Amino acid sequence: MEQSILERTKADYKVADISLADFGRKEISIAEKEMPGLMAIREKYAPQKPLAGVRITGSLHMTIQTAVLIETLTDLGASVRWASCNIFSTQDHAAAAIAKDGISVFAWKGESLEDYWRCTYRAISHLEGKGPQLVVDDGGDATLLIHKGYELEEGSDWAKTKSENKEEQVIKDLLLEIHRENPYRWHEIVKDWRGVSEETTTGVHRLYKMHQENRLLVPAINVNDSVTKSKFDNLYGCRHSLVDGLNRAMDVMLAGKVAVVCGYGDVGKGCAQSLRGQGARVVITEVDPINALQY
Amino acid sequence: MQRMKDQAIVANIGHFDNEIQVDALNAAKGVKKTNIKPQVDKYTFPDGHEIFLLAEGRLVNLGCATGHPSFVMSNSFSNQVLAQLDLWKNRDTYKVGVYVLPKKLDEEVARLHLQKIGVKLTRLSERQADYLGVPVDGPFKSENYRY
Repeated sequence: MEQSILERTKADYKVADISLADFGRKEISIAEKEMPGLMAIREKYAPQKPLAGVRITGSLHMTIQTAVLIETLTDLGASVRWASCNIFSTQDHAAAAIAKDGISVFAWKGESLEDYWRCTYRAISHLEGKGPQLVVDDGGDATLLIHKGYELEEGSDWAKTKSENKEEQVIKDLLLEIHRENPYRWHEIVKDWRGVSEETTTGVHRLYKMHQENRLLVPAINVNDSVTKSKFDNLYGCRHSLVDGLNRAMDVMLAGKVAVVCGYGDVGKGCAQSLRGQGARVVITEVDPINALQY
Repeated sequence: MQRMKDQAIVANIGHFDNEIQVDALNAAKGVKKTNIKPQVDKYTFPDGHEIFLLAEGRLVNLGCATGHPSFVMSNSFSNQVLAQLDLWKNRDTYKVGVYVLPKKLDEEVARLHLQKIGVKLTRLSERQADYLGVPVDGPFKSENYRY
């Protein structure tokens, strides 16, 4: 898509097809019935609006379920901007429904890498040149972009070094472009930033590493290692959605096939159960003796 | 990947696409890539055998399907909202660092989901709780417990 994603459009959102909003809304209302935790939190906190006016940026798969999360945050008073955290993970009808409700969302299924990082930047860029006060991150991309931008302004030469892959170069190009326009942009963004909560294993690794290197700018909550996250989402979630992905992609009979699962952590366990449930003969590879000994 | 069986399916369910050498596969000499449909590609090797790569090596459950179901995500996202509330409420006292939510909140998130699946929790008597050395209302496990 065009470069203009950096410019503010009147609508202040970018989705694949806004006409999918009604379909999205119908599926969101089904999801609300299946998400009692979020709905209970709404009921308990919405009257007090504990997040009144708080600017939140989310970088997390823009799905129907995430729409329920976003609307919980807005019910609690927050002013939310959102991007997906993967180029393929957006459900376009979910993004459309959220956009139609007036939330600034920048996400569609099948973004280019350039679009993806520009969407992340637009989700970070709240009104009047301000940045987020809180970030909901998944994989740590929003946190990474802010830190790398801030470090560039502090004199880091990372953006000018050779990249290991295409995506790294895309990030650097964006940072240098923003830097040419406004060499203090990221300091402005960071000024009111008070914290980040991180959804997944990979992002949590990044946070601990940044903290060890004294680079972390704000307090972070590791949501991944809540028991009701990693022992449920990673395990039961993958058990449900792995075969769903395989079936929709290939529609091939899994029973009788040999399936190799690399790694037997929470995700690997869920995947192995998922494939075993379909009758596949499952083989695990592991490096950790404890996981390798588990059933 | 070259040595995989004919018609093998390769997919990744980790967060990033760096767990599969997609760039190397695309650049490999004599390997032909055929797109079947969005997020499904067939690779044909010089000897004629074929493998399928899903979602270009990105997470298959969200690339090829719609990710985790709502009920499980309600748990994850309840933790997210409680984390956001906590970060904001205690913004003046939090120091830079990486934290986890207290076990009490973890138990609370679980509690919020039990009614939906028809679970009625048993409640400890004071005597039982004393014997176990836990409060009647939790937390029920030590910080080291691994579930």
